[in-house]
Amino acid sequence: MFNNFKNRFISAIAPDLPPLPSSEREHQRGALRLGSGQQMPDKFPYARPPFLQLLTADELRASADHNVRPIIVPRDINLLPWGTGYAECVNSGKSEWNEDQASFSRQVLSDPEHNHPDLPYTYFGIFDGHAGYGAALAASHQFHHILHEKLVDCIELLLPRDADSENGKLQLNATFPHPIYFQRRVSKDDLIIGALESAFFHMDSLIAQDRDRYRDAGGCTACVSLFIDGKMYVANAGDSRAVLCQRRAGSGTSAGVTPSTTTEPNKIEPDPVDAAHSYPTAYSADHTPETERERLLNVARLKPHLMGKQYVAMEYAKRPHIKDMGQRILCRQGTMKGWTYKTLTRDDLRMPVVNGEGKRSRLLGTLGVTRGFGDHDLLAINTGIQIKPFLTPHPDVRQRDLSQVVSILDEHNEDGDYGILVMATDGLWDVSENDAVARTVFQTLSRYPKEKHRYTMVAQELVARARGKINDSGHWRLADSKAAATVDDISVIVIPVHQYYKEHIEWTHNYTRELEQRRRKAAEANMAQEAVNVLNGIIAEEAHVVEEQPYPHPQHQQQQQVVVQVEQVPALLRQEQEEQEQRAQLEPEETLVVELSDETPVQAHLETINHTMQKVQLDANVPEETPEKTTATSNKQRNNRKGKGNRQ
Amino acid sequence: MSYAYLFKYIIIGDTGVGKSCLLLQFTDKRFQPVHDLTIGVEFGARMITIDGKQIKLQIWDTAGQEAFRSITRSYYRGAAGALLVYDITRRETFNHLTTWLEDARQHSNSNMVIMLIGNKSDLDSRREVKKEEGEAFAREHGLVFMETSARTAANVEEAFINTAKEIYEKIQEGVFDINNEANGIKIGQQATPTNPALPGSGGAGGAVNSGCC
Repeated sequence: MFNNFKNRFISAIAPDLPPLPSSEREHQRGALRLGSGQQMPDKFPYARPPFLQLLTADELRASADHNVRPIIVPRDINLLPWGTGYAECVNSGKSEWNEDQASFSRQVLSDPEHNHPDLPYTYFGIFDGHAGYGAALAASHQFHHILHEKLVDCIELLLPRDADSENGKLQLNATFPHPIYFQRRVSKDDLIIGALESAFFHMDSLIAQDRDRYRDAGGCTACVSLFIDGKMYVANAGDSRAVLCQRRAGSGTSAGVTPSTTTEPNKIEPDPVDAAHSYPTAYSADHTPETERERLLNVARLKPHLMGKQYVAMEYAKRPHIKDMGQRILCRQGTMKGWTYKTLTRDDLRMPVVNGEGKRSRLLGTLGVTRGFGDHDLLAINTGIQIKPFLTPHPDVRQRDLSQVVSILDEHNEDGDYGILVMATDGLWDVSENDAVARTVFQTLSRYPKEKHRYTMVAQELVARARGKINDSGHWRLADSKAAATVDDISVIVIPVHQYYKEHIEWTHNYTRELEQRRRKAAEANMAQEAVNVLNGIIAEEAHVVEEQPYPHPQHQQQQQVVVQVEQVPALLRQEQEEQEQRAQLEPEETLVVELSDETPVQAHLETINHTMQKVQLDANVPEETPEKTTATSNKQRNNRKGKGNRQ
Repeated sequence: MSYAYLFKYIIIGDTGVGKSCLLLQFTDKRFQPVHDLTIGVEFGARMITIDGKQIKLQIWDTAGQEAFRSITRSYYRGAAGALLVYDITRRETFNHLTTWLEDARQHSNSNMVIMLIGNKSDLDSRREVKKEEGEAFAREHGLVFMETSARTAANVEEAFINTAKEIYEKIQEGVFDINNEANGIKIGQQATPTNPALPGSGGAGGAVNSGCC
């Protein structure tokens, strides 16, 4: 129920929350779009990622030129953090618009009670749409809101705390010191992975809910990276891919990457040593009918009705023919690893649930990807069988603890062993091996050793190579061979991981300092407390204590106000109240109810007086119901009541 | 807004000659003294009228740096007009014109109209390339020539519009195959109520549910 409400909430707010200020024009476009079709409207009007700043319909049109396939990079590279590179290119005509999408978000997890330092994080997502651009567009607009919510859900367990730090150094993968709450040990890793996983499911259900109100969104893959707490997490569902490209230590110097000043900048040959020393590590695994054959056949075996007697959930060593009927054939089903014989029957001649090999493999003869968002209404070609039950939004999540990276950075290898994370849709991976991508990454970086936009150059180079060139007969070919280049949309994000880690180290220093300050403050406050207690006792005796104010709810501390009925206040306190009002006017933002321990002795004294006045209040519930009776209230009090009225 | 024709332009020339500023002056009528380096390609568009017909210019502004040359080459395809720009205050940008022209001729369709532009005419005191030299180069290579100033807007309109006029004449003469979009000319769909320049007119992404991904 609550989830349902949250979904609606996100659905309702997300369209108005584009990550960058381009909303006005987008809305205009959206409005124009509505007029053009009798169908249901798009939830989000077609757009490219906001950081590309393609704001007008003309720019969108030009960027989707299928004849030229321009490579689009961010106009302002400062919009992406850490110099992260991005480039994209539209397909050669298989769909009218670029169905890939990308997004990023930088957020901070803040403790509502301000007991712990904030925890910043950065997210990148890449979504490869099919059968329309809707699902990928929705994911690029909404996924980060959902993820943020999931992280906030376990915020009290994620935020850095004293127990985590030992001599100012963070413990690794600290498990929680609250065995009462968990029967099993749950680490921060588990919580972040869980947040990612549940966000994937949530996103998928959001698209399902929008089916009644908006045009069919199609489906999309999702590859997401999250940089938080000194670690890198990659969650993937589908056949987009994230690959960490690294270089073996020392390769930069020994290879003698010639500074570009000594040779003509356009004539630098690919450095062979350099290339040999680069290596890729996949941080995701593709989910295609072929790689997921086991899972798919198992779904079909357990729920045969999903196949509607049209398909067979069996894999054969040799394709069954009608002439082989009655003969034995090697086969396997479900999660079997080996092969076994069975006698061929008519049922075996049905179409297999998974057919084809490699990139050409298809689920129910239709779909080439088996995880991701959307596709809720997708039907199999020819048979009309529902495909969604075979799909899942469940991502694989992989993690890298950057604090464990041992890396000697040098002039020619400023990324060190932290590596470069390349996230890209299958437009890139279909025609480029991971090795080749890693080589291109470092070749390009050594060609642009100092440029601020060097990672953008890498992204551009990767896209340019995968897109290739168009020949006279209108076919796209790779530049270095006659092989076919990709005709699909291509999107590439190039993340210098070390830049994140540098930022993280800085943050660690800052928050360690903050924690120290807190500790020192707490010690000081403890000393002050005793003095305060004495004062408190004296004043409380003089005041006529009628009713005790209930302890304020922590979240409303800021708004908690003192309500005093002046008539009943002893003359002694009236003077103090005037002082109090003066102070309130001078510092209108000051919180009146503050933990004593956070205050210096003088402030603590004032707070004590204030606290006492609260106790003096005769009828705590009067002000809201009968405001006219309280004749003398401070500005702050009035403002507060206004605030309350608005909330009602 | 509907149009009779859409012409695609490309702006080329060395880095720093003012390509992006020319585009900005033409589309937005403003001058930006400090302009970030163009990486990749940027787009501009404006409607003009020639012979009583509405013509939309879609302009591709390219990166001038050598590093981007190979990518820029792929953008000549499908351009009906090119503005080849040099900076009258920097002789080397004029010297590089031959290379640019070779590139353009090699990678574009043979009917592409090329306009040679000597930009920054407002900086006459720092002039390194005489107007006559520009004129001579243009004559020799069969180009139209003009000196412009993106700062003062002098001749900027004319440069874009004259190029369009020449393309328009070529269409009238039947030189262009206007049915091939790769020639950089598109016939507008004035008769139809939907606007072809807006996304979504082709249905839900135009994809079919077949063998996707």
